Amino acid sequence: MENVKVGVFLSDCGGQLPKILDFDAIMGYVKGIPGVVLVERSSEFWRGEGIKKILDAVKRGKVNRVVVAESVPKLGEINIAQAVEEAGLNPYLVEVVDLKNGCAWPHRETPREATEKAKAMLLAAVERVKLLEPIEKIEFPVLQSALVIGGGIAGMQAAMDLAELGFEVYLIEKEPFLGGIAARAGTFFPTDDCAICIQSSTSDVKTVTPTSRKCVYRSGISEVPNLKILTNAKVVKVEGVPGNYRVTVEKRPRYVDESKCVGCNLCIEACPVEVPDDYNAGLKTRKAVYINVPNVYPPVPVIDEDACKFHECARCVEVCPSDAINLDQKAELVSLNVGSIIVAVGFREFNPSVIKEYHYDDYPDVITHLELARMIDGFGPTGGMILRPSDRKPAKKIVMIQCVGSRDRRYNPYCSSICCMISLKHAILIKEAHPEIDVTICYIDIRTTGREHEKYYERARELGVKFVKGRPTEVFMDPETKRLIVDVEDALLNRFLELEADLVVLASAFVPAEDAGEIAEILGLELGEDGFFKEYNAKLRPTETKVKGVFICGGAVFPKDAPTSSLHAHSAAIKAAKFLLNGKIVKDQRTAVVKEEYCGDCEFCPVICPYNAISLVQTGNGHFVARVSELLCEGCGVCVGTCPLNAIELKNWRQDQMLTQIRALLSVKASKPLVLAICCSECGHAAVDSSGMAMLQYPASVRVMKVPCTGIIQVQHFLEAFKAGAQGVMVVGCKSDGCHYEVGSQIAGRKVELAKILLKEYGVEPERLEMLNVVYIEGARFAEAARRMVERLEKMGPLRLIESV
Amino acid sequence: MERAEREKAAGLSFPEEVASRLGGETIKLCYQCGTCASSCPVAKITPNFNPRELIKLSLLGERDEVISGDAIWLCCSCYNCQERCPQKVEIAEVIYALRNIAFEEGRIPPIYSEFASALLRDGRIIKVSKFVEKKRSTLGLPPLKPTGVEALTRILSATGFNKLYERRERK
Repeated sequence: MENVKVGVFLSDCGGQLPKILDFDAIMGYVKGIPGVVLVERSSEFWRGEGIKKILDAVKRGKVNRVVVAESVPKLGEINIAQAVEEAGLNPYLVEVVDLKNGCAWPHRETPREATEKAKAMLLAAVERVKLLEPIEKIEFPVLQSALVIGGGIAGMQAAMDLAELGFEVYLIEKEPFLGGIAARAGTFFPTDDCAICIQSSTSDVKTVTPTSRKCVYRSGISEVPNLKILTNAKVVKVEGVPGNYRVTVEKRPRYVDESKCVGCNLCIEACPVEVPDDYNAGLKTRKAVYINVPNVYPPVPVIDEDACKFHECARCVEVCPSDAINLDQKAELVSLNVGSIIVAVGFREFNPSVIKEYHYDDYPDVITHLELARMIDGFGPTGGMILRPSDRKPAKKIVMIQCVGSRDRRYNPYCSSICCMISLKHAILIKEAHPEIDVTICYIDIRTTGREHEKYYERARELGVKFVKGRPTEVFMDPETKRLIVDVEDALLNRFLELEADLVVLASAFVPAEDAGEIAEILGLELGEDGFFKEYNAKLRPTETKVKGVFICGGAVFPKDAPTSSLHAHSAAIKAAKFLLNGKIVKDQRTAVVKEEYCGDCEFCPVICPYNAISLVQTGNGHFVARVSELLCEGCGVCVGTCPLNAIELKNWRQDQMLTQIRALLSVKASKPLVLAICCSECGHAAVDSSGMAMLQYPASVRVMKVPCTGIIQVQHFLEAFKAGAQGVMVVGCKSDGCHYEVGSQIAGRKVELAKILLKEYGVEPERLEMLNVVYIEGARFAEAARRMVERLEKMGPLRLIESV
Repeated sequence: MERAEREKAAGLSFPEEVASRLGGETIKLCYQCGTCASSCPVAKITPNFNPRELIKLSLLGERDEVISGDAIWLCCSCYNCQERCPQKVEIAEVIYALRNIAFEEGRIPPIYSEFASALLRDGRIIKVSKFVEKKRSTLGLPPLKPTGVEALTRILSATGFNKLYERRERK
């Protein structure tokens, strides 16, 4: 082993720290620690002249390990790591301690005790740095291509963004035509433009200005270079790793060759089969070979397999002038290699049949908003007329019911967020075109939270739309007149109303796409309790997922209006582009390492790993051992804390490294009972930091040790701490639902509870061990807990350990 | 001290008091959509009863108005409201909880009090009259057997019903 030469650089924080800490004593102490060859003091070491001193010592080979006591620890760590790396030293051979916020300030009332703690902190840092190993970087290739699943408004936008940035993009849509749920909506709020209107490709420079919007079919989306659109297709398998996914797509037969079809529609005219047109809510029929609406992409008919008689009939084949119809077309599997995947599978309308009291299945004149939208659409089945489906007579009275299956704990407890606006939009469109139609909206709360949205509410009132505050209990049919009656209490009038209606429109909830679960499983993504795709962090990383390189956007994440879907899509695209851009992932190998000779046949770590980074592989003798993916491992150490055999270790957080640090921290005595506080590097340590920054006082006998995540902690660490002189142990982690590594602090919490039982068996008071879950702003809670722990220990008296423990 | 008084003394707000009782747990979920009111056959024939209003008053802490009023005794327990409530408020159960609070404070309409005494006396809430017995025989139904009043009394006293009832009688 190389000769370890530790340099210790002590910042006195512009002369502030020596007012509390006895710097001469500290420097003298540090000089005496074996392995320390250089001790320097300056007013700061994280920049300027200070950092030059460190670099100089490194470059001249005076030191090969660095301990810096700095008062801006985070910035210090980053700057110093970068600088020493440039100077030729591996940045993992550096240890930074914070003598200000971690020692001087929170213990300023007991300067002598603080000085002793500072010695302990520096001793621990020196002992730790002596055992550290260099950690290298590895590069993983990233393919310059992406797959976008879902050809609705979000998917189309994201695909165009990425294609125009120069990546190879595949956009796949499970339906035969692009557009998604949005295309059926007729028009959008708050722009009042067509639902099939999208941002046109900016690569179409001849005709398109940057502000231009166009219908999907003339937007040029199909002509964007690098963008390949596959309709009637779905993902069946995804293999590989982030940056290098192999995707298998099943392309179902269209039976009409897109490259040959000229769009004459002769086949549609010739087809003798008529079936109800689902796309148009069954309000009209269509042929077995059909196009949804005239202005979709691709402008090529598709043959409905369930309706077509194929070779028995084949009239379409006879009339086709371009020989485009192939009744023998088979489904084919297409294999795609992509670096990144964006999930934009959207949402769908909840089927309100289950709410029996609204009789959606029984009465044809009870419809949903998507069905009404088809009637309002000029291209729709009624040409813009609002008809009663039962007898096709114009509807004179319309009652809309809000929150059907949403905000309903029996079905979907959440607010679907866009149904109020859809009802207002539809009420306005109906009133403007047919002022004589009476429109009533029964609501619980009207929610118009977006920009310009309240104007729709105002406009609806202006146009004479009636509002009843009450959720109807039932829609029934008058046995004599056969008219629908909506039974509702108007809570504002305290009156029961029986509203007659020709048409009842249910503002049905929006729920996850039918295949959301299947796609989540294929990609290893998580769904929320509501069934929508779960974002990595709703506040800061709303389009990222736990799986690197896989992003989510649009209605797949939650019901959204069109503007929010666009925004979300652009965000996902930029995140995907950022991921793809370098063509490689550069990653420090701060990963877990399996000691295969100890590992065997259990499944704890593969199951617990929050990143699916561990798999089991069979060894020659038939045993299974864990294998860690260097790409996927995030270095949290949750696996370490879970392994029953100590067969897995985290680099630079090995047992010997951690135990050495524990013993060093506790080796410098204090007048009060010693406490070891093991904190995670995230919220836990941030809270400890913030208590120091705020100068909140707690006893200097509380010694703080930082670990990546509390999930790494093992029960033996507690025992070792007690053995080394600790009278109490605190574990300080993130809130259990706010753990930066998903499950770490929950696991630590359970371990603390178990350890308490164990301690009791050993005759040790369980109150000597405590878990604290905090966030950054809760420094006061930490300080208070630390004070109380020490008080408790003083009352309890010294810990009595049986020798064998 | 009876439970209702203890709760009052403990400074529990009225919604909390109701929510802490068996059957009352779901009261705070109510968002006043009125599905219960339009489902209610009683509300449609009398302005004196509206389940939505009853819950609103309770949530606003109008304890006296709710407990001393007649409304809580008008529910016919058809459970229509409860079946249709989108927030899964167990409305009929909440009303039982309200009735229990009222009963513990000695507030009970005479008809219910008659039911109670009949129950303690005969094991039935309605007295079996000569007319009923006759009617049964003309319909070919067997005569009613005597009920196990003793066992019932034991159950009722184990639940504290006796004591509450007697206490109410004294008032």
